[in-house]
Amino acid sequence: MPPEPQAATQPLALQLAEMQTRLGQVEADARQNRLSMVVFSGSLDRIIASLVLATTAAASGMEVELFFTFWGLSALRDAGKKAKKTLIEKMFGWMLPRGTRKLPLSQMHMAGMGPIMMRKIMTQKNVASPEALLATAGELGVIIYACEMSMGVMGFKDEELIDYPHLSRCGAATFIDRAASGKVTLFI
Amino acid sequence: MVARTVDARGKSCPMPIVELSREIKQAAAGEEVVVMADDRAFPSDVEAWCRQTKNELVAVGPEDGYFRATVRKAGR
Repeated sequence: MPPEPQAATQPLALQLAEMQTRLGQVEADARQNRLSMVVFSGSLDRIIASLVLATTAAASGMEVELFFTFWGLSALRDAGKKAKKTLIEKMFGWMLPRGTRKLPLSQMHMAGMGPIMMRKIMTQKNVASPEALLATAGELGVIIYACEMSMGVMGFKDEELIDYPHLSRCGAATFIDRAASGKVTLFI
Repeated sequence: MVARTVDARGKSCPMPIVELSREIKQAAAGEEVVVMADDRAFPSDVEAWCRQTKNELVAVGPEDGYFRATVRKAGR
């Protein structure tokens, strides 16, 4: 004689409900297909490396977020823009590069000859410039965060940052949260 | 029908892959995109890109002075 339908299905329904709950937890903990990168360095070579990886990851269907902090922030400055600053902030502003076109090389800088030669060679070899890579990154939806704390330390203002379609400010907790739930994290 | 073609010859990493991804975005599922590139890293890069994006690498190989890859967009 077959068992009562109610008695047989009830435990199964409970099991299913528990499995659905567990599946929900697994999905919530699953790492998202995202690259979170700290761009700490303000040298031309490292900025190019960051942007090459960022654009490639975005072109590979990953969500990409770049967290610019300390010297890296120089790359986000727009030489054509001005901001109201205190004396110390002005001094920082004078000493630090104004945008990607003024970035030094981390090696073989040679009093400014290095970056000029590097750009010349890169043009000859058809390597995209950091400016072109930034434009591509913007078009591919790469998100840029400027570290609020470092902006304050360097005396950089919102008004002097480049026009970039996905640019905002954030703090360390945002990076940690995004890095913890993403698949790939880099520090350059 | 004229196949979608990306001529990235003369361009270096990461532009051939960036341009391929742009073209794939425009394509319909099942449609093929042909990429020409002379970046020496391109054959291994296009293979890795297809693995990552789940698109199908139909063929990749050397031609006269460049590489030619055919990628089929995933999905139905």
